[in-house]
Amino acid sequence: MAEIVINTKNLDKSFGSGETEIHALKDVNLEIMRGDFAAIVGPSGSGKTTLLNILCGLDTVSSGEIQVSGRSLQSMSGSELAQFRREHIGLVFQAYNLIPVLTVLENIEYVMLLQNVPSAERKERVRKFLTEVGLEGKENRFPAELSGGQQQRVAIARAMVSHPDIILADEPTANLDSETGAQLLDMMRKFNEELNMTFVFSTHDPQIMERAKRLVTLTDGQIVSDELK
Amino acid sequence: MLWKLAWRNLWRNRVRTWLSALVIAIGLVALIFIDTMMVGMTTNMLKNATDSLMGHAQMHALGFRDEYDVKLTIKNLDETLEQLRKDPELTVLSQRAMTQAMLSSSGGGEPVLSLGVDPTEENLLSKFDEAIIEGEYLDSVSGKKMILGWKVAEKLELILGERLVLTAVDAESGEMAQSLFRLSGIFKTGEEQMDASMVLVPRQTLQKMLKLGGRIHEIALRYKNLTPAGIPLRPLTQPAKSSGNELLLWTELMPSLYMITQMTDLSMAIMGIILFLIIALGVTNTLLMGLYERMFEFGVIKSIGTTPWQAARLMLYEAICLGFLSIVAGLILAVLAIALFAIYGIDYTGIEFSGVTFQEKIYPSFKWDRLFIYPFLSMSFTLLAAVYPAFKLWYMLPIEALRKRKL
Repeated sequence: MAEIVINTKNLDKSFGSGETEIHALKDVNLEIMRGDFAAIVGPSGSGKTTLLNILCGLDTVSSGEIQVSGRSLQSMSGSELAQFRREHIGLVFQAYNLIPVLTVLENIEYVMLLQNVPSAERKERVRKFLTEVGLEGKENRFPAELSGGQQQRVAIARAMVSHPDIILADEPTANLDSETGAQLLDMMRKFNEELNMTFVFSTHDPQIMERAKRLVTLTDGQIVSDELK
Repeated sequence: MLWKLAWRNLWRNRVRTWLSALVIAIGLVALIFIDTMMVGMTTNMLKNATDSLMGHAQMHALGFRDEYDVKLTIKNLDETLEQLRKDPELTVLSQRAMTQAMLSSSGGGEPVLSLGVDPTEENLLSKFDEAIIEGEYLDSVSGKKMILGWKVAEKLELILGERLVLTAVDAESGEMAQSLFRLSGIFKTGEEQMDASMVLVPRQTLQKMLKLGGRIHEIALRYKNLTPAGIPLRPLTQPAKSSGNELLLWTELMPSLYMITQMTDLSMAIMGIILFLIIALGVTNTLLMGLYERMFEFGVIKSIGTTPWQAARLMLYEAICLGFLSIVAGLILAVLAIALFAIYGIDYTGIEFSGVTFQEKIYPSFKWDRLFIYPFLSMSFTLLAAVYPAFKLWYMLPIEALRKRKL
């Protein structure tokens, strides 16, 4: 039986209070298994990004429980959450969000440096993932010198290089043309299959929906369907 | 990596970084330069004051300085002189008879302070011969020659060789005593009091006129090995109260000058604190601007695993890099400024300040410890200025920061 990586129970998230209170998430119960390649889909404002932010501990819940890799995120302090994300969660953002003053190599290395990974191992892992994402030879380029697709590849390498339990990607192809987006998705799908790495996307990109093994549909903050493909 | 990130972040806005660095550097230059000039000025003042009539210390009979009572001569003179001369730190000693007197010429009269000196002995201490602008210095411990300040000469319209009568109360009977002198020289020390009211005559002649015998009123002393504040390194042996004499350091003889030398350090400290506080506010502003501009980016680095403490350290490292840059620039500029003024100096000659007239240009007096103290203070205040931005970064929620730009 596959290991549960993410487990949420009766998640609620609301913003504001009284008459202005908005329920972003309502009674969300979700289990993400190791090796999942899941897309959270739904119209704008359905709560996809909010859910992803909660899953990685960036945002808090109003009520309910959330466990990632067997640990409850609610009981962690800011510092513990940062360390937890560093060790267990890889994040890929829509706008790549690389650190502009660091080179490709340094951007990928950054998290490992925070983890105190020895230099030789860092270099080895960076080399491996740069090859995996097809950016060998571009180690010393700065993000501004790369195309959007290349930057997102660096962001994926940065997310994967510390071997997290799960990669959470918030609309990773939204800023890319469809061809580049498709290439990236194929690459992530390959990692998923070859390395058994778990991916959860928030998206309304049909290409992701097409390639996802599992589709979780959110509407008005509620899961209305959860289907395996 | 955090250091690398901090250093590169600093150069993202080069103009702002250079401006901030320049503000700190200029503050540092100002402090180092003003400090060296102030030390140069007080050293100059001290030298002028102690190289003149005053010396480093003086001995008198108790109470003499209150009213210059001619009867109050130094007690047990021979024994006292012997004691003073035993001190290996003593370099010069000058014995003086002195009294308030009336100086009369054919052109009128003028109250003066007359000093009876041994010209050779006195010249080693106060270098009066260098101040002679007309005529010549005294040449004997006895005789009828007199030198006086140029303002006295001007008031009485005196010319060299003119006969002058000195009238004063003698020490024996309290009767008026007179003696005739011939003007042999006119001096200009630059000090108002001396130039306008002082006459020097041979000591033995004045002693005879005042019926003092061999007695004197004052012994001026100069020592070697002084502290930077101009105080003899080895404490002076004070005479016992019962001896009837007192030995006073220049700090007691000229308390206003001493206060100025003491206030120099205090005023530098006050100025330093004010200047560094202004700089610190500027640095805080620069770092906060950087923080707000890069809020989203800080959100990213916190979201990918940078702990609050690591994020705060990043801000502190940026401040350290800025401080380091400023200190290097500041030290270079300060050394250049000091070198320039060490060559040309500042010309305050002839200007009197707190009873002392500057006789020569003021040059910066360089103290090596200042090259460490002020940069250390610069760095400390820069770091202090970074505490608030670092604190903000520590408590900044990554989710709030990420909302500053659409993901």
